[in-house]
Amino acid sequence: MKKQLFNKTEIFFLSSIILLILFLYLFINVIDNKKTYTINMFYMDTYINVKIYEENKEVLDELDKLFEEYHELTDRYKSYEGVVNVYYLNNILKQKEEIKIDKKLYNLLLYGKEMHKKTDGNVNIAMGNIIDVWKKYRDLKKGIPSDEEIKNVGSTNINDFTLKEDKYEKSSNVSLDLGAVAKGYVTELAALHLEKRGINNYVINAGGNVVVGNKNKGTYKIGIEDPIKKDTIFKTVKIENKAVVTSGSYERYYEYNDKTYHHIIDPKTLFPSDTDLISVTVITDKKAYADVLSTYLFILGYEKGYEYIKNRDEAEVIWTLKDGKIKYTKGAKYYVD
Amino acid sequence: MSTSDIKLIIYIIIFSIVLYLSFKLLNNNDGELAQVFYDNKVIKTIDLKTNDIYEVEGYNGKIKIEVKDKKIRVIEETSKLHLCSYQGFIENKNDVIICLPNKVLIKIVGDDNYDSIAR
Repeated sequence: MKKQLFNKTEIFFLSSIILLILFLYLFINVIDNKKTYTINMFYMDTYINVKIYEENKEVLDELDKLFEEYHELTDRYKSYEGVVNVYYLNNILKQKEEIKIDKKLYNLLLYGKEMHKKTDGNVNIAMGNIIDVWKKYRDLKKGIPSDEEIKNVGSTNINDFTLKEDKYEKSSNVSLDLGAVAKGYVTELAALHLEKRGINNYVINAGGNVVVGNKNKGTYKIGIEDPIKKDTIFKTVKIENKAVVTSGSYERYYEYNDKTYHHIIDPKTLFPSDTDLISVTVITDKKAYADVLSTYLFILGYEKGYEYIKNRDEAEVIWTLKDGKIKYTKGAKYYVD
Repeated sequence: MSTSDIKLIIYIIIFSIVLYLSFKLLNNNDGELAQVFYDNKVIKTIDLKTNDIYEVEGYNGKIKIEVKDKKIRVIEETSKLHLCSYQGFIENKNDVIICLPNKVLIKIVGDDNYDSIAR
């Protein structure tokens, strides 16, 4: 009789062990199910990171294209071949001369006008002229523009450009800067694109503006950086299908004569907004609007901002005041861990 | 090679796989962040995933901290005994380095798996 390598007991023993291995392996895979696929990009002056939980390089590449396209359309400093972009509209297009623009840019500008109305003029995409002046001083890290300089800055009137059919026309030297609206707008487009391609489980982080989709189980855990102590997380929110966006005076600023000058310019004063706030964090399912709303509430200051938001069902808000106090809307605590 | 040798080899291979998988399962609590405390307040949070050198201010002056391969250590500080530089790297969750003369404590915490950081 041929001698068997293993007898029956051994075979039973071995197969149980192999089963155990399989079991362990599966278990580890369940735990490790956090495997993510990401793409990092630098467009629109910010680092953009998109994270999905399934392998789909194609869709990540599509997002890269999407952000790149809007980057070119909204670029204020550079022209691109065959693209009528913001640079072209600001610097090359003559006054009272209409030009056909891409449907995408058209809709974005239309959105800008809509947001201007919605925020009572506080978020204005026609402030390129004054933003340039402040940027000059911010880059120098000293001095502030003189009254003369601010008076002669040129138009910041959003009605100085018109959108008709698919054409753009300006009636003054008005200069566009889409910084306040474009990031949120394109982030929402990216989120919609992912959902259209069947990916509901995603995290988009565009320079600190976070947008998340639906998680199969549980919620996404988002840390909010402390506006006072940098590199520290001061609040954790658990959300799904929402945006978390912070506007504050703690990034992109300079100090001069013991005063801080940051990058959010109040359209009424043409100076960096000066309120009791250091930052405002907005949590809302209106993913594009989150960006606009946080800027708006930052310019309003705490009291007015609270009055504005308290009876609206559109967002939950966390305010950090200059004196270190932290204020919440009633529902915000529901998300804060 | 006799059959019993082959059996032994097979057993050893299977045993190693089980051991390896079990360890992987148990060791799933890598620290991801280190918090630096001064006077019991967090003054810095450091991501252990990127190798870098940081400086924080201690009671006696600057403290240099190095992050390497998900481990963290103090490489320079001002004190008599230099205990906290001698301690070397720490890497597991809840491990601490204490620089008592400098009133500085470094602790490894899980990053509680944040999905993203808003700022």
